[in-house]
Amino acid sequence: MPLKPSFLAPFNEFVAKHYGKDTGKMLIHTGVVGWILSAAAQVMAIVVNDKIPKEQKMYLVPQELADAGVNILSFYTITQGCKSVASKLVKSGKLLPKTIRGILDAKGLTDKVGSKGFDIFKDAALTPAAIKRLEKFKSGVDVTAATIGSVLSCNIVTPIVRNEIAASRQKDLVARMNNADTNHSSYVKPGYAYIKHPSMYDFTHNSSSLKV
Amino acid sequence: MAIYGLNSIRTFSNAVSNRVVNAFPTMTVNSDKANKAISWIGKHISSPENRLILGVSALMSQPFIDLHNKKVDEDTRKVSAARTVAKIIAGTSTGVLIRYGCIKAIDAFSKFPEEITATTKNPRLKTFFTPFEAIKGGLRDLRHYKSALGTLVSLGVMVFTNFLIDAPFTKFMTNKFVDKIHEKDSQKQVQNKEVRDAA
Repeated sequence: MPLKPSFLAPFNEFVAKHYGKDTGKMLIHTGVVGWILSAAAQVMAIVVNDKIPKEQKMYLVPQELADAGVNILSFYTITQGCKSVASKLVKSGKLLPKTIRGILDAKGLTDKVGSKGFDIFKDAALTPAAIKRLEKFKSGVDVTAATIGSVLSCNIVTPIVRNEIAASRQKDLVARMNNADTNHSSYVKPGYAYIKHPSMYDFTHNSSSLKV
Repeated sequence: MAIYGLNSIRTFSNAVSNRVVNAFPTMTVNSDKANKAISWIGKHISSPENRLILGVSALMSQPFIDLHNKKVDEDTRKVSAARTVAKIIAGTSTGVLIRYGCIKAIDAFSKFPEEITATTKNPRLKTFFTPFEAIKGGLRDLRHYKSALGTLVSLGVMVFTNFLIDAPFTKFMTNKFVDKIHEKDSQKQVQNKEVRDAA
């Protein structure tokens, strides 16, 4: 009996076409989707929580969205940047394994390396075996770059930026609360008036979403 | 609006990466071992391994960033670092296991037509995730495809496990760590008091 494609065929084809050969790209895109889902889950948890007053939700939801924005922007910019540099280094011929460099030298293409528009996969007339070897090398370089980028963004840049934002937010909130306590006529931003003073518990337990 | 934003980031990222590439010297990887290692990474490192590397490196950096955050008091710093450690352990363990499990599951349902015999039960189920290109015989290496699809499925699963496993596990471990920190602090205070009294 001949096998027929399942009803998921269009989705399967899409995944195969876009990520079937490029693990680095998959790591970046699934990383972004992961951050979006984490943030969406956190926002949903706040929205459906009956114990949180509506006025507090008005403050907490934008706060979560702002955190998500920082996470996603930092992750995508840094990781995509690292991967993009790595891919271009290989494609332009600036970073190559010994065997491929030898082929380029033998073909007299050394001067073309790194020049604008030079693509080693298209312009070097490599044999299918050499292209396969180069693709394996490029895939390794891409995955290494994507991993370095994600470590850099998730573990160094994002925590520093998030701590800065959380600390200034905490400071701002305390200042507004003190202002509201001492001067009843002063303007208090909607939502702030209903929030109790932030405690250490609030700061350490609500400062970021759980990464999936 | 969002697409415009993403395009702007991509354009900016491209411009920066072009400058970096231009500034780079030409390099050749001469060592056979290094070339083999790079090819091995491309073939074998996927999202579970990536998540594990992220988790291990997070344990080596994030708690120290929290402990050196001078904008909050010392007690907050300690509790914040404890929460970070708990979050990393919970997130990494579930993240790695669920990714790995989902990729294995996709593997079981992405068989090539030649792997299906007359005795195979549910042949359509066994090729449920096999791309049509592979059924036709055009695509022969499904390793990266299975990793990608497994990772996408795992993200859906983790939306739920984030609340069902990660959050309670993180809370449990944070409380344990915070109790330990407070216990140590109170012991220190008692010791300091004894030293002061003795003096």
